[in-house]
Amino acid sequence: MKLFSITALTAAVLLGSSVSALALERGGVMTYGRYTDSLFLDPVLNDANVDIWILTNIYDTLIAPSKDGLTLEPSLATEWKLNDAGDEVTLKLREGVKFSDGTPMTTDDVVWSLTRAANPENGIWNSLDASINKVTAPDSSTILISLKYPDPTILSALSVFNTAIMPKAAFEAMPGTTDKEKAEAFAQKPIGTGAFMLESWERGATMKLVKNPNYWAMGEDGKPLPYLDGLTFEIIPDDATRILKLQSGDIQGAEFIPFARVAELKADDKLNMELFPSTKVNDIIINVRPMIGDRENPLSDEKVRQAMNYAVNKDAIVQVVTYGVGTPLTSFMATTTPMHSGTTPLFAYDLEKAKALMAESKYPDGFSTSILTLAGNQDELATATALQQMWAAIGIKLEIKQVDNASRTDQYRAGTFDMRAGAWTNDISDASQITSYFAYSPTIDALHSGWKSDEVDGLFVASQKEMDPTKRAEQFARIQDIFNASGPTIPLYETPYPVALSKSVNGFYQIPLGNNVFREAWMAK
Amino acid sequence: MPLASFILRRLLQLIPTLIFILIVVFVLVRLLPGDPTSAILGDRALDADVERINRELGLDRSLLVQFGVFVESVFTGDLGRSISLKVPVTELIAQRLPITMLLTAMAALIALVMAVPLAFWAALQRGRAADAVIRGAFQIGLSMPVFYIGLILLTVFGAKLGWFPVGGYGDGFIEHVHHLFLPALTLAFSLSAIIMRNLRSAIIGVVDAEYVQFARAKGISSRLILLRHVLRNALISTVALFGLSIGTLLGGAVITETVFAVPGAGRLMVDSIYGRDYPVVQGLTIALAVLVSVTFLLTDLFQAWLDPRVAR
Repeated sequence: MKLFSITALTAAVLLGSSVSALALERGGVMTYGRYTDSLFLDPVLNDANVDIWILTNIYDTLIAPSKDGLTLEPSLATEWKLNDAGDEVTLKLREGVKFSDGTPMTTDDVVWSLTRAANPENGIWNSLDASINKVTAPDSSTILISLKYPDPTILSALSVFNTAIMPKAAFEAMPGTTDKEKAEAFAQKPIGTGAFMLESWERGATMKLVKNPNYWAMGEDGKPLPYLDGLTFEIIPDDATRILKLQSGDIQGAEFIPFARVAELKADDKLNMELFPSTKVNDIIINVRPMIGDRENPLSDEKVRQAMNYAVNKDAIVQVVTYGVGTPLTSFMATTTPMHSGTTPLFAYDLEKAKALMAESKYPDGFSTSILTLAGNQDELATATALQQMWAAIGIKLEIKQVDNASRTDQYRAGTFDMRAGAWTNDISDASQITSYFAYSPTIDALHSGWKSDEVDGLFVASQKEMDPTKRAEQFARIQDIFNASGPTIPLYETPYPVALSKSVNGFYQIPLGNNVFREAWMAK
Repeated sequence: MPLASFILRRLLQLIPTLIFILIVVFVLVRLLPGDPTSAILGDRALDADVERINRELGLDRSLLVQFGVFVESVFTGDLGRSISLKVPVTELIAQRLPITMLLTAMAALIALVMAVPLAFWAALQRGRAADAVIRGAFQIGLSMPVFYIGLILLTVFGAKLGWFPVGGYGDGFIEHVHHLFLPALTLAFSLSAIIMRNLRSAIIGVVDAEYVQFARAKGISSRLILLRHVLRNALISTVALFGLSIGTLLGGAVITETVFAVPGAGRLMVDSIYGRDYPVVQGLTIALAVLVSVTFLLTDLFQAWLDPRVAR
């Protein structure tokens, strides 16, 4: 009995100490399998998600999007205030922040970085900061941004990757004469205030990041972040190989798990199959111009589009394409987007109604049309094949054209496509970006569809100046009602980000905007 | 010196070939629908962005001017900068091409090691069970898709048995060879099948030739006959086939590199074509063309050594 007690006591002490040892020793080097490599690590001049979703581990913005993507949190600025008129932002900078090379971050760096981000000659994200008139620093810890007009989105815009703070002096010391040339040199070995810094980069193979010893943030345990000593991105384009490497323990995380394999990996007791909420929406974009080239376009008839919408069984597509992981859309924007409205799936499947609408349309006997899908993308092909069968029931003959991305973008921009599969994720925690591309016609002709609603255009312009959040939400609700009822899309489903992680990984998450956040990730040493 | 003039002749032939390739690749890559700006900026680009990027990339200039810039860059050894990766093309080629060359060389070596002894055995056992089994096995190797063989090898020898890494490239030469073994074996399957079949028929043809029968009648040992008379003569057509197959191997590397996550030139080429990264596609095509031409030249030289009539 005594022996048992001593053994039990020893075991309890050992267990206790090992648990605390685990808690103390957060760290390790994590290898994360990505489907493709980053291209250009400049916050302002990059063009692609493969950069955006990683950049935030190297650079910080003044304000950060929250984990659920709906609110804003302090980052390099500890507090901020938008004045009542909505045309001036005052931000208080965090004290003692240093860049990864050890130089202190100054107001000069902030003024320069924001001015560079807002310059219309730089990159494709500057429109998010179009309201910025002048950035100044009244004292060594305050930043004042004066705006050309009241802008309700400015605070969210200051949490977007392109407004990340970079070291002015180090950037300007780079070889080259233009901003682009200097950026190309700087991005080879970027310096930021982020949790990690780039150690080495073998293009197409591995990118090695190491802990930034000067990082400013503290973790939940009161210890400095990041917990990881290092973070390696390994590029493994083939889905099956990426999963195999994760299962064999070579890597500890893998992104973009095909939906077909989610259930299998959920059942794997060595893995955590995560489905992080995202702002990703999938739909079919319809060209609604009356003529495409010299052809009459039946898709311009609103009744036809409504018939097509009712003829699509979204639940079936969610099952076939996403293996039940997705959910049918309740608006053109995802439920994770601020000011999303709508509670029921759009155009619930109703074949009889679809047939009736077709009979009322200008094309009661049906017609032939086509859809562009991305060659090699199984999800888009499966969707298009399902649509082909569903629309055959209302007399529409659908031709599937598989093309590569550049060809598709070319036809899309030229407005010569009939339909295309579309997907979207937000870059900013606000409804304005998706609305400006989807519904507000002056941006890109409402997804290059040729659709236009004067009421939507007017409401959108008003929403961009409306400082009252309630009124603004009403404006967006009305825009969504109009677009969802008569817009140029077949809304399909929203999907989460499927990421599989080894059970040894803790604290990693991806926010709805897509940013991969590694600063709180750790592995038990 | 017939050999020297042969080499010189072949080197001179390389010049028009390369000029032809220069023109073809420049035109072909631009005939693809879509342009680098569409590929880079994707769906969100505004018209003003597209115009600005086109101007920055020099794509708003006439094709003739663009061709002039391209030719000038080739002759100065500077192949331009990658549009999407923003680094010099020569740097990318220097990083990625050696990986594909090592992969191809290992695949070729493995294919030879598998094919040559078995071809001999099959030829000498002609019509018997061993012959049928060897031919059947290689036929399966030839008809299985590369990505499928690759995944099977990865699963069995990588994930299950742990003998080889599950994809990747590793650090240092020893690790590179270790990482590239399975992809090289995958690539070697189809090549070894082709070589085996060709060499087997060639050996059968030579074994029945009168000069071999004569040598046998003279009482020369079978081993000497095999090495000096049979192998040397049978190899002539196989060497030609082998040389030509190197180009195919480089093509096959594209799929293999994707399945095995090998950061080689094949993957770079595919990514660059999708990205309409004109400078990389052009530069890499020229580099590959030179590589294939040099391989052909070496093949010819080896053939000339085997059969001096080739050099005449």
